[in-house]
Amino acid sequence: MLVVRNLHAGYGLSEVLVGTSLEVKAGTVVALIGANGAGKTTTMRAVSGLLRPSKGEVILDGTPVQGMEASQIAQMGLAHSPEGRKVFGPLSTEDNLLLGAYRRLPHFVGFHAKAADDLERVYELFPRLKERRKQPAGTLSGGEQQMLAIGRALMARPKVMLLDEPSMGLAPVIVQEVFRTIARLKAEGMTMLLVEQFARAALQVADYAYVMERGTIAIEGTPDELRAHERVVAAYLG
Amino acid sequence: MPGSIIAQMAVSGALMGLVYALIAYGFQLTYATSKSLNFGQGELVMVSAFFSLTLINLGLPYLLVIPGGLLFGALLGLAVERTGVRLALEQKSEGWILLTIIIGLFLFSFAENIWGRDDRPFPTPIPSTPVHVLGVDVTWLEISVLVGVLAVMGLIELFKRRTLLGKAVEAVAADRDAAELMGISATRTVVLSYALSGGVAALAGILVSPITTVGPTMAASFVLKAFSVAVVAGLESGFGVVLIGLFLGALESLASFYIGSGWREAPGLLLLILALAVRPTGVFGKAVIRKV
Repeated sequence: MLVVRNLHAGYGLSEVLVGTSLEVKAGTVVALIGANGAGKTTTMRAVSGLLRPSKGEVILDGTPVQGMEASQIAQMGLAHSPEGRKVFGPLSTEDNLLLGAYRRLPHFVGFHAKAADDLERVYELFPRLKERRKQPAGTLSGGEQQMLAIGRALMARPKVMLLDEPSMGLAPVIVQEVFRTIARLKAEGMTMLLVEQFARAALQVADYAYVMERGTIAIEGTPDELRAHERVVAAYLG
Repeated sequence: MPGSIIAQMAVSGALMGLVYALIAYGFQLTYATSKSLNFGQGELVMVSAFFSLTLINLGLPYLLVIPGGLLFGALLGLAVERTGVRLALEQKSEGWILLTIIIGLFLFSFAENIWGRDDRPFPTPIPSTPVHVLGVDVTWLEISVLVGVLAVMGLIELFKRRTLLGKAVEAVAADRDAAELMGISATRTVVLSYALSGGVAALAGILVSPITTVGPTMAASFVLKAFSVAVVAGLESGFGVVLIGLFLGALESLASFYIGSGWREAPGLLLLILALAVRPTGVFGKAVIRKV
């Protein structure tokens, strides 16, 4: 579903990604783990088009998308819940969700009715969001904003979902809830690429995992293989 | 009757202040989505007014002149975005400042060459006869300014709140990258905001021309005041520019009446200096901490 080959990208003259390759098969969850600054978020940004790759390929459902605008890639069915959540603070929770489905909805009238089923599904997944639906997203707690960011990405009915650090800065209880949701989405057949600091939790939901070091994939394997890998255990699971 | 004179001066001044508010609103529209604005906005007001005058002289009915003028203004807005702004924004440079000033100068010379340097009357079916409202005289022309400004700002605010495209504009204003991730093209949203801003400038020209006459320099002082209003109110609040516009208009009118006509320009500049010194984010603005 999503194939990344020999991706190079960076900011200005400093190259962060130096030939990253990975694959996310349809219906699977793939975890990308690694230390701070290894290039995980940069990989996500280069895949979704927020950052233009200088070299390499990104293939979404058979179509090369590298070099396209982020909005075009999103239109083709890639949803990216970015690091830091990035909800639209002044807009209401429900407006945030509606905008998540922007690529599928009419732009002037009737968009609310057409999105009703998807809204219900997200509210069922995150009942807290329903309580907060009229509130400006900026006034939500960190955990609620994270739920909103995931819900907003789901509204697109994406082919692939990128989740960048969904547990960052959240209380342990909320982190558990987020991971339960990820497991549930996986059970429903969602294809996901998950970047996570909590390697242990990420390996529990993932079908396959990549370990990034200094801008490239250092180790890869199934969660069982990685849990048995001496260096991975020492560096990321210790 | 000094009380009623004060009220009279304040009201007619405030109604002219609404024109400042409308032009300031045009600044806000583009600043929200792109953090850029057209420093040649006054020339858009003026050229659109001349264009509308030409339509009138061609014998077009007034009710067709208004949409024609607005469309022309919107097209000018598009041209400004394409030629003066987009390239600079893509390079993440502040080049749009100089480029939009240059486009303004170009439009100024263009207008002088096509329509001449003289101020011309702008015929309109709206009568300039006064009506008596709550103890003050207001002309129908002034009422048309009030109605026009509030109607168009109301419509644009309604568009932003009630349509998904409008919400997308707000989303780009709030977080450009996140909006892109929803499939919203930030570039096209900026284009849309420049078109709206151009239309708003044209409306300002059409509304004010019957009162001030049309000439190449007609908008120079308006745009300066509009800039003060935008900065004093903050670059986010549409409601704010209306209030500050009304206030500044009234203040100017009173200053020129009581101190002398030479003092008409003073309140705008004083307000601007005061705002920058005391509250640089504007009275209705929110402090934004930009991470770098």
